[in-house]
Amino acid sequence: MADATRTSRTTLPLPSLPQRGSVSLFEIVLFLVCLALIAVGLPSSLQDVMLLTFLYAGLALAWNIAGGYAGLISFGHAAFFGVGAYTSTILFVHFGVTPWLGIWCGAVLSAVFGAVLALVCARLRGPFFILSTLAFAEVVRIGALNWASLTGGPEGLSIPPSASLVNMIFASKATYAGLMLGYVLLVYAITKALETSRYGYYLFAIRDDEDAASAAGVNPLLGRTYAMALSAALTGIGGSLFAQYFLYLDPTFVISPELSFQFALLPAVGGLGTAIGPILGSFLITPLSELLRSNLGNAAAGLHLVIYSAGLIVVMLYFPGGLAAAIAKLARWRPFS
Amino acid sequence: MSALLEVRGASRKFGALMAVNNVSFSANEGELLGLIGPNGAGKSTLYNLIAGVLPPTAGTILFEGKDITGWKAYDIARVGIGRTFQIPKPYRQLSVVENVMLTAFLREPSLGAARKLAEATLADVGLADHLGTPVSALTVGLLKRLEVARALAMRPKLVLFDEIMAGLTPTEVGTMTRFVAGLPARGITVIWVEHVLYAIMKTATRMVVLNRGEVIAQGAPAALARDPAVVKAYLGEEMDLA
Repeated sequence: MADATRTSRTTLPLPSLPQRGSVSLFEIVLFLVCLALIAVGLPSSLQDVMLLTFLYAGLALAWNIAGGYAGLISFGHAAFFGVGAYTSTILFVHFGVTPWLGIWCGAVLSAVFGAVLALVCARLRGPFFILSTLAFAEVVRIGALNWASLTGGPEGLSIPPSASLVNMIFASKATYAGLMLGYVLLVYAITKALETSRYGYYLFAIRDDEDAASAAGVNPLLGRTYAMALSAALTGIGGSLFAQYFLYLDPTFVISPELSFQFALLPAVGGLGTAIGPILGSFLITPLSELLRSNLGNAAAGLHLVIYSAGLIVVMLYFPGGLAAAIAKLARWRPFS
Repeated sequence: MSALLEVRGASRKFGALMAVNNVSFSANEGELLGLIGPNGAGKSTLYNLIAGVLPPTAGTILFEGKDITGWKAYDIARVGIGRTFQIPKPYRQLSVVENVMLTAFLREPSLGAARKLAEATLADVGLADHLGTPVSALTVGLLKRLEVARALAMRPKLVLFDEIMAGLTPTEVGTMTRFVAGLPARGITVIWVEHVLYAIMKTATRMVVLNRGEVIAQGAPAALARDPAVVKAYLGEEMDLA
């Protein structure tokens, strides 16, 4: 029995479909397809959609570490996104620090914000925790609006568009797409590393039953704090990348509840607590919402939101485990046996 | 015999209610100590005091001579005290073996070694065929065994069992009783709360009886079965252990 497993492993080194703790052919093929899409030179508008899809995939993965793995459902991740975006941008615009460095400063500061949120809300669970994350992001947004000397307040903050590698500003959208794909890869690698370490299991345990986790020697508060800090740091990196692409920040969008909901929605559609789920979620939802908006936006204002929302309801109703679970189900489907 | 766990005058008050009132007892190394009493006697609260879920309002708890009063549950687990939950608390989204791995990490930090230890522990309690089963598919009897496996996978010095027989079939009770009876010989001291009396009274080396938060008797099972105070508070009639 043991020998049989070993031989089958040597002949087929990778599983074909995504599973916890290992990389599958599915993910490798998906990655190659993404690279090819960058290389073929799509029309400019589609390149926009593509790089946004990558960016949101990375952000959804980052959210999933807290929301999916540790069970810390947050509707306040736009706060970390904003902290990351503003930190690298302020360092760049006011102090001339290259974004390549500023991005990590933003990640660290976002992590601090994440840890503070986890500690402040240490005693809150379920809906009360969710509501407090929402409130936390509102506090950060209002803070950013009013600290105008630093953030530019409601008028926002612009990055002078002088393209160069040091400035992390590029003339070609394909370069940005590559950058965003690199971001997805980073967050994905961290997620996978978490899945194959006992720290990942600690998060699962805390999510599923805190009392049992404590009885197994796991400190739930520490686990929640680390998970939130890591998730926030990675979200902050996404914020910096967003700033480097759009070259303009204003609190009303960057720290908006809508953005927070988006971060939570993509993993929910794709499959909470799986590594592939948030990616699938973004690959389905982001192009759909962008294309609906650009194609229907003028003809029937708001219609794209109706179609989008209806699609979400269908997914939630019929695939409660998300797209990742749907794929796993499909793989087990044997119609002719 | 040296005392592995010593509870000295432990009390826990909930408002005006003394759930546990000045309780003292000790569990010696290699002992199988039964803890019985009617519903509401304070057994679960006493467990929560020992396991660090609640701090006692008075009294001290010593483990291996060290004062562990008021320690957090995860620190208590780390010194080698395992426990089960009366109502099983599995990690719902993990498989059976992963549930047990989480406690095994206390002994074996690496994933592979923890899995091996978890598999061995599951084989011990008769769950070898269910390693990959999602816990949602387990029956009550199997869930109780999973609780036991989780408590034992950390190779505890002391384990607190909380009604691991409730809901089991008579055959399962027999198997579980023999299994628990064999633990002291493997270096695991057992404290056992149980309502399935014939199982515990035949197996325990010593018993502590709680009623209304206080210890009303302790000693050998055979003597307690005829103790008028125990009979009145809990047993209802004298027990024949023959």
